[in-house]
Amino acid sequence: MRIKHLGIAAMTTALVLFISGCSLPGLGGPSGETVKVGTQTISESKIMGEIIRQLIEHETDIHVDMVNNLGSSVVQHKALVNKDIDIASILYTGTSLTGPLGMEAVKDPDKALSIVQREYEKQFDATWFNSYGFANTYAFAMRRDESEKKGIETVSDLEKYKNEIRLGVDDSWLQRKGDGYKGFIKEYGFDFENKSPMQIGLVYKALASHKMDVVLAYSTDGRIPAYNLKLLKDDKQFFPPYDASPVARNEVLEAHPELKPLLQKLTGKIDTDMMQKLNYEADGKKKEPALIAKEFLEKNNYFK
Amino acid sequence: MDTIKEILNYYSNNGGYVWEQFFRHFLMSAYGVFFAAIVAIPTGILIARYRRLSGWIISLANVIQTIPALAMLAILMLVIGLGPNTVVFSLFLYSLLPILKNTYTGINNVDAKLLESGKAMGMTKFQVLRIVELPLSMSVIMAGLRTALVITIGVATIGTFIGAGGLGDIILRGTNMTDGTAIILAGAIPTALMAVIADLVMALLERRFDPTKKKKVKTVTTVS
Amino acid sequence: MQDIILFFQNNWGEFLVKVWEHLYISLIAGMLGILVAVPLGIVLTRFKRGASFVMGVLSVIQTFPSFAILAFFIPLLGVGKVPAIVALFLYSVLPILRNTYTGVRAVDPNLLEAGKGMGMTVLERIWHVELPLAIPVIMAGIRLSIVYLIGWATLAAFIGAGGLGDYIFSGLNNYQPELILVGAIPVTIIALLVDLLLGKVEIGVTPKAIRKIKEA
Repeated sequence: MRIKHLGIAAMTTALVLFISGCSLPGLGGPSGETVKVGTQTISESKIMGEIIRQLIEHETDIHVDMVNNLGSSVVQHKALVNKDIDIASILYTGTSLTGPLGMEAVKDPDKALSIVQREYEKQFDATWFNSYGFANTYAFAMRRDESEKKGIETVSDLEKYKNEIRLGVDDSWLQRKGDGYKGFIKEYGFDFENKSPMQIGLVYKALASHKMDVVLAYSTDGRIPAYNLKLLKDDKQFFPPYDASPVARNEVLEAHPELKPLLQKLTGKIDTDMMQKLNYEADGKKKEPALIAKEFLEKNNYFK
Repeated sequence: MDTIKEILNYYSNNGGYVWEQFFRHFLMSAYGVFFAAIVAIPTGILIARYRRLSGWIISLANVIQTIPALAMLAILMLVIGLGPNTVVFSLFLYSLLPILKNTYTGINNVDAKLLESGKAMGMTKFQVLRIVELPLSMSVIMAGLRTALVITIGVATIGTFIGAGGLGDIILRGTNMTDGTAIILAGAIPTALMAVIADLVMALLERRFDPTKKKKVKTVTTVS
Repeated sequence: MQDIILFFQNNWGEFLVKVWEHLYISLIAGMLGILVAVPLGIVLTRFKRGASFVMGVLSVIQTFPSFAILAFFIPLLGVGKVPAIVALFLYSVLPILRNTYTGVRAVDPNLLEAGKGMGMTVLERIWHVELPLAIPVIMAGIRLSIVYLIGWATLAAFIGAGGLGDYIFSGLNNYQPELILVGAIPVTIIALLVDLLLGKVEIGVTPKAIRKIKEA
């Protein structure tokens, strides 16, 4: 029965390995010099994540592992806190304020930023860097000609059509706490009768091809200008500001002092227009984020 | 067709990345099967000896097998965290039943007369195992490994939802794009190919190990 | 744990809808599978060479990862229950087909001769001799298929088909563990229950004599 004992020993070793988080050969770098960057499913997050990765690998000896397709910035936050990732490619001020920090939405972007910077330092021992230069907010979108025909400029204008409108949303917004659907109903005082949850990437075409009437879009998506969509004004200011920044665990920043100045180089370098263009490269022109990041960094000479 | 051109274009621009994910995907599957084999083969031998245990151990493995993959991955993620290790662990769990059951059946089907001769020749129990039982069951055990590998390649595809990487990443990106058919296919085709090729290679190995060479190559994987 | 109980209290209606959606897509796909696979299996017993070809093709399809096939149908059929059912149907065919084929082939030719001798037509032979004797094996295939479908139907939520997978995906996307559990645990329980139930049906349709042989 020696084989059996070997088997049990192997299983225990394997279990211990997994739980301790050691990487298996080929699936990750040596834990000492590896930094894990997390990205969300949306292209924006992946592009910024790749920019961070390539910048780090180009300028330092650190190896970067990507943890991709996290469902939302809340998941990124959790992953950061659980040390599953070391750097979150993008966290948004509004989402972190109302979600993980459980606070009331703050309308002023600068104030929101200083609150999250302070709280992340205090509660999570993490550094929330200054913004990349763009904000990606939820925005209700319509086909431009349709909105002009019906004279709809603001979200409140939608109320009289609430039962006819076919609304497309990303599948997590309906259940989202804070800035999600339930909060929306409270603030605006009406709900939509026909809601279709779907992958966020599908809403833009759905709207453009008349399968949906109104969709909840992400404001930096490149397909908004490309499909001539109009973003409605959030007149009750339900959605908080969502300025985008990288966030990193202090433990990792201290272990690798070369990281902080590198990440700081990226602040203020990408405005909304630029982000829309980069996003369109991914979602419209179907380029891999890794390639888009490479081209971007080379064009900017790695911000030396 | 345009889509085919798009796919080829994608591969020529991103070949390195696709290969990286292909390799990563396969590695996760292989690790899963490997660890399961280390546990399931000895256990299979054990329960072939002690029939009383076989009932509930196989039932346990059966229960694990029935758990829907996404549910399993999500729950493991809550406990272990994100990343490839969690996926490998779930793949390990899914590989247990096929390997276990096939080892059990294989060892059980060894002709009792051969065991008798072995004992009569003075072999120890371990020698009987090594010289008689294992070689004769190898082919069936191989079939179990083959089934396990195909299953793990399939499950590893949804590892993308918990940040493990693999070809599922490409498929997921394709679903998020407008007109992303080409990208979906660019991810789905290598995944399907990987599974089919793995199945074929393992089938060949299965035949190689069959000492009687009477069996035809089964192109149909058996999980009964 | 508290969160889960609270969730059920507030949303049990929605939960039941999702359970129904989940069962709906699995069972419809399964039924379609039976409707296609059983007759096809019987037909293939008449054409042995065609049989290995058809089963070869199907088993190749079976090896394709389900997520790949589901995603593949998005551009073709869009999102929703229909593409999900079509994709799941493709998976349900092989196990049922294979078992029908093996089951019918295994029927003792003497019994078929006896049937012919009694003046039965081909259809009558199928209906009165082959099928009844093959049913236990066919049932085993159906059981395998349906349990498999219930498992993969969780993924169908990804293409807008609804079902308990919706909770798992929402839970993953919003990092709400209670949602993950509200989706994952019931779907596992349902899969296990269906497996148990169909297992009993399998034993039930096995004629008593054969049952005794199996147990020995």
